Order: sequence, then structure tokens, then C-alpha cells
Amino acid sequence: MFQSLKRLVIGRPIASADEGHQRLSKKVALPVFASDAVSSTAYATDEILLVLLGASAGAAAFTKLIPIAIIVGVLLIIVITSYRQTIFAYPSGGGSYIVSKENLGDVPALIAGSSLLVDYILTVAVSVAGGVLAIRSAFGFSHSWTVPICLLCILLMTLANLRGLKESGSLFAPPTYIYVVSLVTLITVGLARVFIFKNIDAIDPAKVSEEARHHAEGFAGIGLMVLLRAFSSGAVALSGVEAVSNGVPAFKKPESHNAAHTLMWMGGILGTCFVGISVLAAHLKPYRGENDPTGIALMAEQVFNGRGIPFWIMQISTFAILILAANTAYADFPRLSSIIAKDGFLPHQFANRGDRLVFSNGVIFLAGVAAVLIWFFDGEISQLIPLYAFGVFTGFTFSQTGMVVHHIRLKEPRWRWSLAINAVGAVTTGIIAVIVVVSKFTQGAWIPAVLIPFMVLFFFTIGKHYKRVKAALVVPVGYKAVRHTHYVVVLVGKVNRGVIDAIAYARSLSPEKIIALSVVQDPEEERALHQQWDDYDISIELHTVSSQYRELTRPVMAFLDEIDAESGDDIITVVIPESVTKVSAQWLHNQSALALKARLLYRPDTVVVSVPVHID
Amino acid sequence: MGLRDLAKRLSVSVEQIDDERLQDRFADLDVTKISAVTPRTQSRIGGEITRTRITPRSGVPSFEISISDGTGTAVAVFTGRRHVPGLEHHRAVVLEGVPRSERGRMVMLNPAYTLFPH
Repeated sequence: MFQSLKRLVIGRPIASADEGHQRLSKKVALPVFASDAVSSTAYATDEILLVLLGASAGAAAFTKLIPIAIIVGVLLIIVITSYRQTIFAYPSGGGSYIVSKENLGDVPALIAGSSLLVDYILTVAVSVAGGVLAIRSAFGFSHSWTVPICLLCILLMTLANLRGLKESGSLFAPPTYIYVVSLVTLITVGLARVFIFKNIDAIDPAKVSEEARHHAEGFAGIGLMVLLRAFSSGAVALSGVEAVSNGVPAFKKPESHNAAHTLMWMGGILGTCFVGISVLAAHLKPYRGENDPTGIALMAEQVFNGRGIPFWIMQISTFAILILAANTAYADFPRLSSIIAKDGFLPHQFANRGDRLVFSNGVIFLAGVAAVLIWFFDGEISQLIPLYAFGVFTGFTFSQTGMVVHHIRLKEPRWRWSLAINAVGAVTTGIIAVIVVVSKFTQGAWIPAVLIPFMVLFFFTIGKHYKRVKAALVVPVGYKAVRHTHYVVVLVGKVNRGVIDAIAYARSLSPEKIIALSVVQDPEEERALHQQWDDYDISIELHTVSSQYRELTRPVMAFLDEIDAESGDDIITVVIPESVTKVSAQWLHNQSALALKARLLYRPDTVVVSVPVHID
Repeated sequence: MGLRDLAKRLSVSVEQIDDERLQDRFADLDVTKISAVTPRTQSRIGGEITRTRITPRSGVPSFEISISDGTGTAVAVFTGRRHVPGLEHHRAVVLEGVPRSERGRMVMLNPAYTLFPH
């Protein structure tokens, strides 16, 4: 029954041989890889404003918005240029983890890896929260619906990804392009109306909400800390930029060349849109409180004269691109965790592919943690943002530092120039990471700052364990298994079909000695068993041990210890007769045997065998 | 009762509880403690039967019991018979004979035995 349910939800299993290698053209690759990065334009500007307005800056917030946006834009150019180097250096796909591992070693790689894992989880949480906020701005449903809708989105995405939703261009292309086109239209029309036609006013905060009106009256000075915090919020626009360099092998030939082009286009679109929307916001002044529609929604309404078709296209495509952005994390997280698991730093289960060739355990884990985050932070994107940027920039820093070492190591043609680019990238992103964690420490940046070291420690403990187990299992060629004296102990309650079958089975192992063992509570039980032993004429010796304290496990363990003590090199097989009935009634049987088996599993030189008696 | 006593009471194992019980039971009797027995000398030991062994009906008949007095265990083997009336679980007995050490176990062959009343 479970099988059918799984088939219905997940779909038919796919054979390993059917794994296709779909190569993407630039036009298709752009939406696939850019959706994550470009989608951040939907909330980055709002997040900058939220910090500035939260500090009661009032109108001054909007004068600071453009400089901050330009600095983020410059940062974007630096990061894009640096990643261009990575694309050419690692045509087989160079995520931060791989680059750090190859050039810097295990510790930096694991720091980069865990930052990215944290980052992917937050990508899901932030993007879903942002997407739901976008449709909430349009439909205006109440806040209490936010978390359930977010969780529903996560559930649907998880199911889709368990089915093996490939990053197929046909799915990604339309929403991404529609979003970009609507956003560019919004910016162009808006700026044209501001500068050329001069027929548009700033948004009236009184119409938005009481909170917005209150914000508009602020006039406090903006301190350095507030500026840095605003900047940190804006820096989340850069998240997802690394996606292209991870996926170079997915491009059509020549891979590196096409990937580099796509990266440039992505950077261009992201930078233009982000700066453009910020400039527009600086003129339209979308004051908003925490429960108000998004800045884009407010501006779209103002620019397109009310809630017409362009407004709806804008909001729905915003929702769509944010969901797609979350979906890219569904592809990245399981892939990265499978690579880390293959290196032995995560449980091997993360490296297993499911029915549909996806890393199911990674998908489920990601969905679970993201859902908890959404639930814990009440689906509020602005509360999730401070957690976000730190992981992104830590990943950047290690990846760029790895590239610096790469250039020094290999000294390819023109390596000094490349080295300089990556060094600038490493230093800049490193500084940003520090700014983010310091300026937003109390707002939530402490969570990843504490979590990532713990994760690294955890990965290392796992890695050490796997290495130890592996080393213990390796034997030289010509290794011969030790010949043990073999004792078989058959556990007996009463004489019945199970016991007689089990004894016949034990005989077929032809051990040195077969012993029947029974744990009895009182002399009557012993007498009855002795009588049965004679009646059935069972031809092996029977030991009965008394259990003064009505236990099963301890007397059996003590008995086995005693047999062990008799000869040094023995191996003991414990044979347990077991009745197997219907699944629904199985819990009525063998409960004590189960406890015993659990104990025996950890006993050295002990084999546990269940001899089943099937009862229809 | 001090905290240390409490900790001791809570951490004591079932084996220890049983050993103490058995030691108390055989303390006042004129018997040697099993742990203090010298092999190959006439000895008199007491203990409670904790294990029995019977051979198959078709094999060479012998009956074996293990007794424990809380200081150690000893084994008594009765050859030529498959059952000895009264020698069953939880019964206390006194055994008299010459024990020898056999693969780490203290074994008495056909000892004289005295059953305790229930």
C-alpha cells in the first residue's frame, strides 16, 4: 500500500542508465541559473529601505538609497569578474566547496560548504517568504495566512523535486523572462514619467498605512552602523551569483565560454535592475511598514496608474521567479550535500539517489529545515534576511581565496592579472562578510556565525569516524579470515515448531557444538521443559538458567560470556526462532527477542540469526 | 542517608544485588566460600542452583547443575543419570566433594548433596 502511495506521489522509478545529460544553450541557461540571483531584486531594495526607515531616517533614507545601490552594484562587478576566472579555471564545475577543497584543504572547504548549505536553506526560506509577500501585496490576504501558504509552497516544491524536476528551461524560461521584462518596463516607464514627462508624484504614505505615514515623518540622522546594516541588507542581492560557476558542465560547447557569457548577462541584468529599481524608489518614495505591500507593488501601482494588467503581471511573475529561485536551492543543496557526503563528511545517505535519480534525502532535509525557519520566523522575510548574507559572502571569500592559491600554484598564462582580480574579490567579499556579521549580529547574523563552526566540527567528527571505520576494514592482499571455534546457541521458550526448525537449521551450520538455552522463571517451567525435551526426543543438550529478576537479556548475555571464557577464539551464533505473521499483528510477537537482538548487535564475535516460522 | 549512599543505591547492578542476597543467605552456614575453595581438597560448599544442564535422551546420560553463593560459581556433575530429584532452580544445596578446576570452572564430580528445605 505504501508502495502505491509512493508511486502516486513520486512517480515511476527511473533506471540509472536513463540519466540524461541535457546541455543548455545560453538563452535557456540564463533563466535556469539567473533566477536565484535576479529574484533578489524583488526584495533587496525593500530591505535596504526597511533598515533606513526603521531608524526613523524619513526622507533622508531615499537620498542614501542610490549610493548604497551603486556600491552594491560595484561589488557585483567585482564578484562577477572574479567568478569569470573560476569558470575558466574549473570547466567541470567549480563550486566554492570544490575550489576550496582543491586549493585550500579540508577545513576551508568545509567552512565554505557549510556556509553554502546554510545559504541554500535560507534561499528557500527567504525566496518563499518573498514570493508569498508578493502575492499578498496583490491579493491583500491577512497575515495569518502567510505561514500556511509558505509551507504549502515548500511542500509542493519538495514533491516536485522528489519527482525529479530537472532545471528544465521550458519551465524556468517564461517566468524569469516575464519578470525581467516587467521589471525593466516598470523601471523604464517609471523613470520616463519621472524625468521626461514629469507627470508622476511620490507615493502618498498616508494612503499606504498609518505605519508608513509615521515613517515619512522621521528625520533622525543616519549613523554609520545604520548605513552598514542597510548595506548588508542590500548585499543579499548578490546571493545566487555563484550558480553559474557551479553548473558549467551543463552548458553547450564551448562550456566555459558560454558560461562566462551567461554570467555577464546575468550580472548585467541583476545590476541594472537593482540600481534601476533603487533609483525609481528614490523618486517615488515608497514608505512602507512591515505589513504593507512590497515596494515593487506600491511602485507598480503608482507607475501603471492603479492595479491594471501590468500590475498583476508584475506581482505574479515576482512570485513565480522567487519560487523558481527557491527551486534552484532544491537542486544545489542536494548536489552539494551529496558531494560532501561522498567525501565522507556527511552521512552516506545524502549521497544516495532515490527512485527518480534525485538525492531524495537532501531534498527532504532541506525542505524540513526551511519549513522550520519559515515557521519560527513567522514567514517574515525581513527577519530572515540578516541570517542570509553572511553565508553567501563566506562562500564567496573562500572560493576567491581558493582561486588565488590556484593561480599561484599553476601559474597559467597571464596568471598575475587573474590573481589580482581574484585577490580583490577575496578581500572585498571577506570585508563584506565581516560587515554583515558585525552590523547585524544582534538581529540574527549570530545564528549562522555560531552554526557554521558547529557544522564544520560536526562534519569533521563524521569524517573522522568514517576514516577510522574505513582504515579498520582495510586488509592487505592475502588476508585470511581467522578460523573460529563455532558455537551455536538456540534460544528456547517452549518446544514447538519454531524451536525444532531452528535446531535443524543450527545443525546445518555444522558447528563445533549446539546448545539449547532456556531462561526459566521457576522450577515448574524447568520441569515442563525437561519433560518436553524427552517427549520430543531432542538430541542436543539443554541448559536452563534461572532468572531471579525476571529478565531475559541479562542471563543470556551472562551465559554467552561464560561460553566465551571457555575458549579464546570462538564465535557464537545465537539462533532465535521467530513467528512471522501479518504485518498488522507482528507487534504482538517477539518483543523481548527484539530487545535481545539489539543488545547482541553490539556484542563482539556474535552472530544473530532469526529463523522465521511463517504463519498464515 | 547521604547523597553518596543514594548514588550507590541507584547505581548498583542487578548482579551485585543478587550477590549480596546470596552471600547473606549462606553466611551463617559451616561452608567454604566458593571463591575461597582450594582445588583438589575435600570441600564443603553451599549455593543456590542457577543453572541446569540435561543431555539428550539418546546420549550418554549426565546431569549438571551450577550453584552460586554470591562469591563465585561451582559446577556439580552427576554422571549416569539424567535427572536428580529435588535439584532444580532456586533450590539451595550444600555440596561435599573434591573440586577441580576445569577450563576456568570449579567442577565437582558426583558430590554428596544436601537439599535445603523450601
